Amino acid sequence: MIEKQLSEQESLNIITEMIGKAKMHFHESGASTILWGVVISFCSFFSFAQSFWKFDIGFNIWYLTCVAIIPQVWIVIQENKRKITKTYEESAIDTIWMVYVITIAAMLVYANVTYFTSPGILAQNDLEIFSKNVKTGEIKPFKIFAPSFSSIMMAVYAFPTLATGLIAKYRPFLAGAGICYAFFIVSLFTSFTYDMLLSGLAAVCCWLIPGLMLRRKYLDQRSGANV
Amino acid sequence: MFKDLDPILHSQLRLAVVSLLVGVKEAEFTFLREKTNATAGNLSVQIQKLREAGYIDVEKRFKDNYPQTLCKLTPRGLNAFEEYVKNLQDYVGKGKVKK
Repeated sequence: MIEKQLSEQESLNIITEMIGKAKMHFHESGASTILWGVVISFCSFFSFAQSFWKFDIGFNIWYLTCVAIIPQVWIVIQENKRKITKTYEESAIDTIWMVYVITIAAMLVYANVTYFTSPGILAQNDLEIFSKNVKTGEIKPFKIFAPSFSSIMMAVYAFPTLATGLIAKYRPFLAGAGICYAFFIVSLFTSFTYDMLLSGLAAVCCWLIPGLMLRRKYLDQRSGANV
Repeated sequence: MFKDLDPILHSQLRLAVVSLLVGVKEAEFTFLREKTNATAGNLSVQIQKLREAGYIDVEKRFKDNYPQTLCKLTPRGLNAFEEYVKNLQDYVGKGKVKK
């Protein structure tokens, strides 16, 4: 770009062109979205298979989500190295996903801790809950658990996806979030087994497919920049 | 009555830099160079002028042992840009060409 005397129209053209260039600049590689789409859908489908065909591998498959934090950290470091700009939208989206991670962690703590603390809290009021087998008449102490917890998780999965889709005006995320909310409603009427199937499909629609589309867009831009 | 256009912004490269920074929270020197197709030397000079006018903040730091220059539009720079665009629209809208 060389310096010259500008006319008013040329000035307006520069402003329009540069604002457009800043808007078009895209460096979301989709790697994180693909990673979590794969991990969550795999764990969900595996849980469905375990529940449907009644087998046990001796450990909770969902521990894989903890292992996935390692490549996630690596992805974040690599992306930060490549980043040459930060938009207001990216800042907002980063904040939403940070809050989402905290929310998911809090939900898991809630589900696991209340399972153990609820009987004690009830006992403080001299209460205990029992369940009765309507066939045998057997009555035994009942441990409280969050009903249809996987449904709640699906609603939580949809929230950052919808927010990201609205901020970034990215239709695959909006569609993924819509499908996820639909699965959430369906899962209110299904057992844990099918909740897991829906949860896996939700992860595919929410993250895996939009992530692959983001990746393609990102690679297209990179190849365009290298021409 | 037309106002004079801000001479700091009424320059091709400086206007391009500020227009880019309007759309982002912050940007590296390399981003500005890539989008404006300017030479590093010329871009440095114009960034320095914008900084001296208080229109942008420039932060220099190291990233992976390489120097990194981050530029960010200041509130003053944003006001100046908005005023500049408003004046431009007045000129263009009323068909008056001022040299």
